[in-house]
Amino acid sequence: MISSPPAAQPATATGRRPVPWTRLAWVTLRQRRGAVIGTSVVLGVFAAYLLIMAIIQNNAYAAVQACHPAAALRCQQLAQAFTRDYWGGGGRVIQSGGAQTVSSLLFALPVLLGAFVGGPLLAREFESGTFRFAWTQGAGRTRWSVSTLVLPAVLLTAVTGAFTALFYWYFRPFLADGQVSDMLPLAFALLGVAFAAWTLFAFAVTAFTGTLFRRTVPAMAVTLVVYIALAIGTATVIRQHYLTPVTEQGWNGNAGAGWVISSWAKAPNGQILSQADLGNVAAHLPASVQNSPDPNAFTDWLTQHGYTMWQSVQPDSRFWQFQLIEGGWLLAVSALLIAGTVVLVRRRGA
Amino acid sequence: MNVIETNALGKRYRRKWALHDCTLAIPGGHIVALVGPNGAGKTTLLTMAVGLTRPTEGTVSVLGGEPAGSPQALDRIAFVAQDAPLYRNLPVAHMLHLSRNLNKTWDQRRAEDRLVQLEIPLSQKVGELSGGQKAQLALTIALARRPGLLVLDEPLASLDPVARDDFMGAVVAAAEEDGISVVLSSHVLAELERVATYLIVLTRGQVQVAGTVRELLASHGAGLEEIALRYLRAGVSSLSRTEGAA
Repeated sequence: MISSPPAAQPATATGRRPVPWTRLAWVTLRQRRGAVIGTSVVLGVFAAYLLIMAIIQNNAYAAVQACHPAAALRCQQLAQAFTRDYWGGGGRVIQSGGAQTVSSLLFALPVLLGAFVGGPLLAREFESGTFRFAWTQGAGRTRWSVSTLVLPAVLLTAVTGAFTALFYWYFRPFLADGQVSDMLPLAFALLGVAFAAWTLFAFAVTAFTGTLFRRTVPAMAVTLVVYIALAIGTATVIRQHYLTPVTEQGWNGNAGAGWVISSWAKAPNGQILSQADLGNVAAHLPASVQNSPDPNAFTDWLTQHGYTMWQSVQPDSRFWQFQLIEGGWLLAVSALLIAGTVVLVRRRGA
Repeated sequence: MNVIETNALGKRYRRKWALHDCTLAIPGGHIVALVGPNGAGKTTLLTMAVGLTRPTEGTVSVLGGEPAGSPQALDRIAFVAQDAPLYRNLPVAHMLHLSRNLNKTWDQRRAEDRLVQLEIPLSQKVGELSGGQKAQLALTIALARRPGLLVLDEPLASLDPVARDDFMGAVVAAAEEDGISVVLSSHVLAELERVATYLIVLTRGQVQVAGTVRELLASHGAGLEEIALRYLRAGVSSLSRTEGAA
């Protein structure tokens, strides 16, 4: 019925060699069967959708790219239709709101997966009292908890990492098209190593709090709050400081340039004008400029009057550096939390 | 060899001492009845002996000097906690397999033979077993580990009278067959009276008496139940005296 390693003989009882990790791995996987199936189903459904859409989308995008000359009206219309249908959703049911909506939904996946897998790991043992069984077996609680934590952590990181590769394939037309810079908060955490790292982080927080509170649901709730706060804080405040931004002249916007952190103008007298200051300048411009249908009317006016435009940018070329920095600190924090969980298990009494 | 040896052992939960200044030396080869009212500190003493709980003060060693909770101690003590916690969602066969993988010593044939005798099907889920079957499964797993010491915390509390009798029969048979020492706790002495060869009475975190049943019977000239009752009463009254004085 089940494949078994040969039973240990009573004679080995006096040996000092601990219970092998392979046996503990069997225990962990058997106990986490539900989590393994649940994670596979959730990621599998998403992956199947992404796979189908990626094929359709990449074909459509190939047609856009093949259109020559690109400046022709026919090609412009094709490119606009592509963006409308596949980025914006274009109203077709199978696209479910398009890549814009799908990618924003995916932001919830790391915390949901991490909490679902990590939450019950130890908290369930406390809730059901089975830690009294698990911790009094020959393997001992330290080895047991290391296996219980590390194996699911590694598996979860690996599958979410693989999932990112599929997502990147699906998302590639929009990155290539300059629709989205891969440095922008709305893409960065879904790409590279960040998606897997954030999942690992959510897992580690829930496993730790689950051990601290000895309850699954409060641990998940706290994880949700901590995760959302840190994810938003990272995207809006922390991430832009990983490396000093590049200051460059001109306002290029996000397309192609990378992630614009801030932009300002310098007046002819050398005064620095923030966006708020520029708003004041704009308000006092002649009506012909203010009401101009040309979107560049204001910047043209500024240039004509001796102003220079500046922006600080995290360029796209820094994508992998930023990924490794973010992945690195999330991995470090997660490793500390997992180690902390083992320490809690070692210290906790019945 | 002493199977459990404690020296000035104590455990405090927040401000309350669950066990205080407990010095004991339980010799091997006995079926030890640890008796006391609810809240006397029986579970605390046992969980410290099996290494689940760390003492606040004092020391506890097992099986001739191994520190409680050390790998050598864990290897040779089988513990069945109150209500026999096992993984309810697993089939019995997987519960056995899991236990085998968590231990260096494991006698699969013995476990399977016992379950056949008990008519517990291997494919049944643990959560679907009756209380008596679950207790027997926990005992089967404990015995398949071939321990030197078997510790059972309130093993009979949730069992009906027939299951209690079967369970105690199995414990005594195993103790005789394997020559292992057994420590059982209960708040009802009557359950253990027939089988116990060593008695410890614990009240309010203090040991009132500890000794072999034979010696106790000889020195007190009374039945075991009466002796235990006498010490239980003494423990309570001595405490109420101190409380009165304070």
